[in-house]
Amino acid sequence: MMASAETCFHCALPIPANCNLTTTIDGEPHPVCCPGCKAVAELIRDSGMSQYYALREAPEPGVGRPPEEASEWHVFDSDEMLAAFTTDAGEDVEAILYVGGVYCSACSWLIESALMRLAGVAAAELNPVTHRLRVRWQPADTAFSGILGTLASLGYEPQPLTGDADARPELLEQRTALKRLLVASLGMMQVMMFAVGLYAGDFQGIDAEMQRFLRVVSLVVTTPVVLYAARPFFTSAWRGVLARKPGMDLPVSIAVGTAFVASVYATLTDGPAVWFDSVTMFVFFLTLGRFLEMRARHRSIDRTAALSTVLPNTATRVTAAGNEIVPVSQLLAGNRILIRAGDAIPADGVVAKGDSSVDEALLTGEATPQRKSPGDALAAGSVNLDRLLEMEVTRTGSDTTLGTISRLSERARYARPAFVTLADRVASYLVIALLLVATIVATVWYQIAPERAFEITLSVLVVTCPCALALATPTAFAAAGSRLSQLRLLVTNGNAIESLSRADAFMFDKTGTLTRGVPKITALVVLDNRFSEYDCRLVAAALETASSHPLARAFKLDDSLPPVDDPHVEIGQGVSGVIDGRRWRLGSAAFVGAGTAGNDGPTTQVFMSCDNNAVAWFEVEDTLRPDTAATLQSLKTRGVRLALLSGDQEAAVEKLAATLGIDEFHAACSPQQKLAIIEAAQSNGERVVMVGDGINDAPVLAGADTSIAPAHGATLAQTSADVIMLGDSLAPLTTALAMSTRTMRIVRQNLTWAIVYNTLALPLAALGYVPPWLAAIGMSASSLIVVLNALRLSRFE
Amino acid sequence: MSILYVLIPLALLLLGGAVWAFFWAVGSGQFDDLDTPAVRIIMDDDQKPGDGNET
Repeated sequence: MMASAETCFHCALPIPANCNLTTTIDGEPHPVCCPGCKAVAELIRDSGMSQYYALREAPEPGVGRPPEEASEWHVFDSDEMLAAFTTDAGEDVEAILYVGGVYCSACSWLIESALMRLAGVAAAELNPVTHRLRVRWQPADTAFSGILGTLASLGYEPQPLTGDADARPELLEQRTALKRLLVASLGMMQVMMFAVGLYAGDFQGIDAEMQRFLRVVSLVVTTPVVLYAARPFFTSAWRGVLARKPGMDLPVSIAVGTAFVASVYATLTDGPAVWFDSVTMFVFFLTLGRFLEMRARHRSIDRTAALSTVLPNTATRVTAAGNEIVPVSQLLAGNRILIRAGDAIPADGVVAKGDSSVDEALLTGEATPQRKSPGDALAAGSVNLDRLLEMEVTRTGSDTTLGTISRLSERARYARPAFVTLADRVASYLVIALLLVATIVATVWYQIAPERAFEITLSVLVVTCPCALALATPTAFAAAGSRLSQLRLLVTNGNAIESLSRADAFMFDKTGTLTRGVPKITALVVLDNRFSEYDCRLVAAALETASSHPLARAFKLDDSLPPVDDPHVEIGQGVSGVIDGRRWRLGSAAFVGAGTAGNDGPTTQVFMSCDNNAVAWFEVEDTLRPDTAATLQSLKTRGVRLALLSGDQEAAVEKLAATLGIDEFHAACSPQQKLAIIEAAQSNGERVVMVGDGINDAPVLAGADTSIAPAHGATLAQTSADVIMLGDSLAPLTTALAMSTRTMRIVRQNLTWAIVYNTLALPLAALGYVPPWLAAIGMSASSLIVVLNALRLSRFE
Repeated sequence: MSILYVLIPLALLLLGGAVWAFFWAVGSGQFDDLDTPAVRIIMDDDQKPGDGNET
């Protein structure tokens, strides 16, 4: 079971020990993990696009690996399907596809180039932010299935979209954010130039008229910055006030608002000084921080696709006139649909006919398939495993249980009280305090020495310019975020770094988080010496090809398998079949009918018999991620409490907890119970980090103080996660914890420095010991120190 | 120095033009993809398929 250190050249998954496949790109051999990846890599090479490998970013492991079974794309070639998924564009047709597996710019180049080479394709345009591909082509030259098949053969997952394809909230959000950022940055640059003129004028003397002119011009430029670029801060602050939950945007808004109003007043009344430069700079840095945060969020999430990727594209509807294949979006409550074995269920409903077992792991986390008979409820997103079912649809689309969970976790995410970060709070209050102090200084000096009042007030304002404070947090978070993404962690929520640094408890989901979620054979005991271990593996692999039970994946072998006659699947029991004239059975002890060493241990045991004689038994277990134990140990030494929350049975959870040295574990938890455990810990004052994947964990992730999800987990879980871990290893957790502590230390250093500098400089300036030129140097130097300190984070190991 | 009374308003007009042009470019979708254009320039679209095997 040892995974070699090498990873696949194409999909970056670890290469299995017994795999010796290589592919030659640009004259150099590279190892690959499976025949599928080899085929994709060679297809890319043979179509002259191998520079894709030179230009792409480090891939997320497993992305781009082709599916094991080819999908039946030809169903999309029928006239009804074309009509449902495409629109006419002159002589061509146009379709919008969601393409799963796109993760960088090189992907969109590869896809567009490959499609443009197909006959009749007029245009192909892929947006890597929204993962949407717009393709226009001549249906007479290339079939729809040809386009879908090309995408699939390159290792991507195409998904034709209907209806709401143009609803792209991310794109609109990005456009608005870009406009605001541009207004803030151009405005800041202009106002800075005028400010240089004003400061120089203060030293060298300036016409009162020219001074007023420069102030009015600054006012003209600052107004759109405050009213347009800073509008999100005002609206969010107002929403916070209405909800009686003032967020960090409130002090920001007050600072920006007061400084602006005071400057306007000073401009109109020829007051001693204006602060337009501080206002625009503050707004610019805040807007820049929000923009970078938004980009990081969009990069890893495609919310609108979360539902559609787990549901099938089409359904077989039963009508009086016979069966017809329709897009899932056209299903209505009351329709009868057929679900073949192996298909995902497209809508919520009730079994009308048939008897089968259904894998509901996506919704409930329960790995054991559930038996379904007429009258039983079926949930969208679960998979029919064994036999044909006919179901009556009750709810479709976003009304389904799956859709509801998705919406709930969305709401939980927005309802989480916005954490007021220390830095923004201090910076904003300080701006207000400085304005007050400057006014007091001006008034006092006006009484003592009217001729010096102006110069001293100016020094006070310059020397205490909140630039260093405004820069202290955003630069540190930006540097930490970019360093973390190099270390394979994507931060999607700016508060995550701070809340992670104060974590008291880490709670883990089991399957798919601590373990890989893929069962493996951990022991094989041969009871009959006529057969070798390899014979048993081969026979088991051959028998299990007939079954779609999750455990069947453990038996898969890439070698050539003996043919199985008369395969038979007994739901929840096992499989049987005839090989070389002998009847083999593989499954539970009772099913196999052989006297065997049964026990009730935590692992699953699978027995095999040949003509009713026991031959072997297998122990099948979900394997741990390679560095789980080491990671948990190092988290423990950092003094955080560890707990295991799992929906699985007590015995399995207890064994795993013992193996990993986790003292606290909760087995057989529903998502509600998991959430309750987290809330109980939170009410004890603990800050809880939840690490989990799977759709049923989404509300749990949203309820935790910080949530972390592995990248390969269900898309829905990632939408509520603050941090996304790329890669197969859990080690980034330790990195994230160390990095967050380090980041907060740097932030505190920066803030301390800025505050100490200001509190020292302020009295000196207020007492008239700092001439304005020295104040200007002091301000620039303090900002520079803060930025350089923050940049130390980008070298964090 | 009175030339500033002409030059600065002129600069502001140009600034307004630049902002308008940028808003138009964003609105027409030219900034929807901020990653690909940066690398597209170094991608060689003229390369011939290795053995003519397209898909």
